[in-house]
Amino acid sequence: MVFRAFVFGFLLLFFNGCQKKAAEIVIGTAGPMTGDQSKLGGDVKNGVLLAVDEWNDKGGIGGMKIRLEVGDDQHDPKQAVSVANKMVNMGIIGMVGHFNSSASIPASSVYQSAGIPMITPGSTNPKLTDQGYKTVFRVCGRDDQQGKVAAQFAAHSFHAKKIAILHDKTTYGQGLAEEFQKSILSVGAPLTAPSIEIVSFDGITQGDKDFRGILTSLKGKNPDLFFFGGIFPEGGLLVKQAREIGLMAPMMSGDGVIDPKFIEIAGEAAEGTYLTFTPDPEKIPNAQPFLKKYKTRHGNELAPYAIYAYDATNILLTAISQVGTKEMRDGKKIAEIIRNLKYDGALGHIEFDAKGDVKESPYIVWVTKGGKFEEFWKPQS
Amino acid sequence: MLLQQLINGLTLGSVYALIALGYTMVYGILEMINFAHGEIYMIGSYLCIIYLGIFTALGLTQSHLILALCAVAILSGITCALYGVTMERIAYRPIRSAHRLSPLISALGVSIFLQNYVMLTQGSSDKVFPHFFTVKSVQAGDFPMTPIQFAIISASVLLMAGLHLFVQKTHLGMAMRAVAQDKVMASLCGIPIDRIIVVTFMIGSALAAVAGVMVSIYYGVTNFFVGYVAGIKAFTAAVLGGIGNIPGAMLGGILLGLTESLGAAYISSEFKDGFAFIILILILIFRPTGLLTRGAS
Repeated sequence: MVFRAFVFGFLLLFFNGCQKKAAEIVIGTAGPMTGDQSKLGGDVKNGVLLAVDEWNDKGGIGGMKIRLEVGDDQHDPKQAVSVANKMVNMGIIGMVGHFNSSASIPASSVYQSAGIPMITPGSTNPKLTDQGYKTVFRVCGRDDQQGKVAAQFAAHSFHAKKIAILHDKTTYGQGLAEEFQKSILSVGAPLTAPSIEIVSFDGITQGDKDFRGILTSLKGKNPDLFFFGGIFPEGGLLVKQAREIGLMAPMMSGDGVIDPKFIEIAGEAAEGTYLTFTPDPEKIPNAQPFLKKYKTRHGNELAPYAIYAYDATNILLTAISQVGTKEMRDGKKIAEIIRNLKYDGALGHIEFDAKGDVKESPYIVWVTKGGKFEEFWKPQS
Repeated sequence: MLLQQLINGLTLGSVYALIALGYTMVYGILEMINFAHGEIYMIGSYLCIIYLGIFTALGLTQSHLILALCAVAILSGITCALYGVTMERIAYRPIRSAHRLSPLISALGVSIFLQNYVMLTQGSSDKVFPHFFTVKSVQAGDFPMTPIQFAIISASVLLMAGLHLFVQKTHLGMAMRAVAQDKVMASLCGIPIDRIIVVTFMIGSALAAVAGVMVSIYYGVTNFFVGYVAGIKAFTAAVLGGIGNIPGAMLGGILLGLTESLGAAYISSEFKDGFAFIILILILIFRPTGLLTRGAS
């Protein structure tokens, strides 16, 4: 009898434990948490955590607390797939990530087949949402939009005549460089027809530290602007080494380079670098409460993608709360709600189109000046 | 333009050569590839940033920058020599008489350990070298060589010449050559083998550390992973020149640097790292003993 009571008590404890475990909503985030881009992954994680903590402070969803699982994909496609599988096995309800396009695209098919909605805060390669997956969303823009704005700036404001293009051979970097090239060839012609020549289109290796070879041969082609599709560790070294060997043409790049670490690496060589990105959240009234909270937690250092991660998390959690705790395992239903959501977040108003892209993504051009990033130019619409 | 490319390649090559010397010297004496050697180079680049931080706090970099940089190179060299000795004592000496594969595996273990040790203590993101030089002062002038490139090439040449003299003209160097030729015979003649091996590790590690210091000044960034690629390339350079052969490592390093630079500039920058391995394969197929083969073997 004592034994039976013991077993019963044990089972009770066991079920109790189970129930406790079930009374949780698990969502995931993933990105480069270690390695050269760990700053970006860390920013994303901080943004997601802030949103999760806010929801938990309000009591969670339907009385259930939200727990975050963090995956480190080291911006490696293979790693991303294994992280995705791990996340699916851990039973996440939704994913905020991954960060890099080269990670998000392979990971997206894992989440798609598991029916788990994913919202990426930073993957801009068009292919991600062009795959036709119904559960994939992004709160950032697309590289075809970004490349077009960069090309408009280069042609109509900068008046470039000879452009050299470099990329880091990644899905994001090469994709952006190709979109830029495509737009340059079409953007110049119809308006004022300034004949722009693309003098070269070359790849470099991500993680490499010495680009003097390719830069020296670019110098021989005498470009007045060189465009780089890639992320800040290489971007910073490229512009620094370009100045050292005497290639003085300004660099232009995209949202992967806009990070304080870029200026830290390049030093004063960073001055005058043009970058496409979305407008400054400091100037968006809606973003102020978020920025205030984020800064009290993590200090004043600029974290450009934290706000995207924050909004993406809020969108995901809003959808989960609308679908209710009973049906929250139904990823397709959550995705359907996200698609029809009219969300006013820190970034302003967000609505998704049929593909899962945001309806409006206002890319503008920033410039590096006095060791800081500043808004510089807006395309005329 | 070609001249500038050649100088770029020469700079890269002299760094490879300095690291390759450590591989080749250890191989010459122990007939093992010290795969942890690239990690010593990486630690050298971190020590450079750490020592510079200390010197800046003391106010030395502001008043005597060049002197401070030289002191950093020497201090990092000494510290890394200690790393080299420790590595030999802990990971290689106890298994010196074991099967040939054992020290190789031990070396891989040391390499993984050191990488993770640095990652955990120094963080996984890129460390940025302080910007001491203004863009103007490091720019190439009419003659397309930057002052830093000049410093790297001349320091490497000096170190290599010094090493050559040391090995050829001093008693210790003679003892090293003797141990390389025949360990048993050398010990019968009264040469303290253990001490010679320790000296070899010290010299090799110090050279790698100096290479690490110079490269972190040259590139301005480092991370815990740089030792891997640099190590593999320096290993290629050592094989190219004929592993175990000291002038061969110097030649191999410089040839490799030039191939990489010119290949990236004139063939394809996408395959910059590939050239090193293409060379390694070609050498292994057509001349497995390297360009300069070791005398008696």
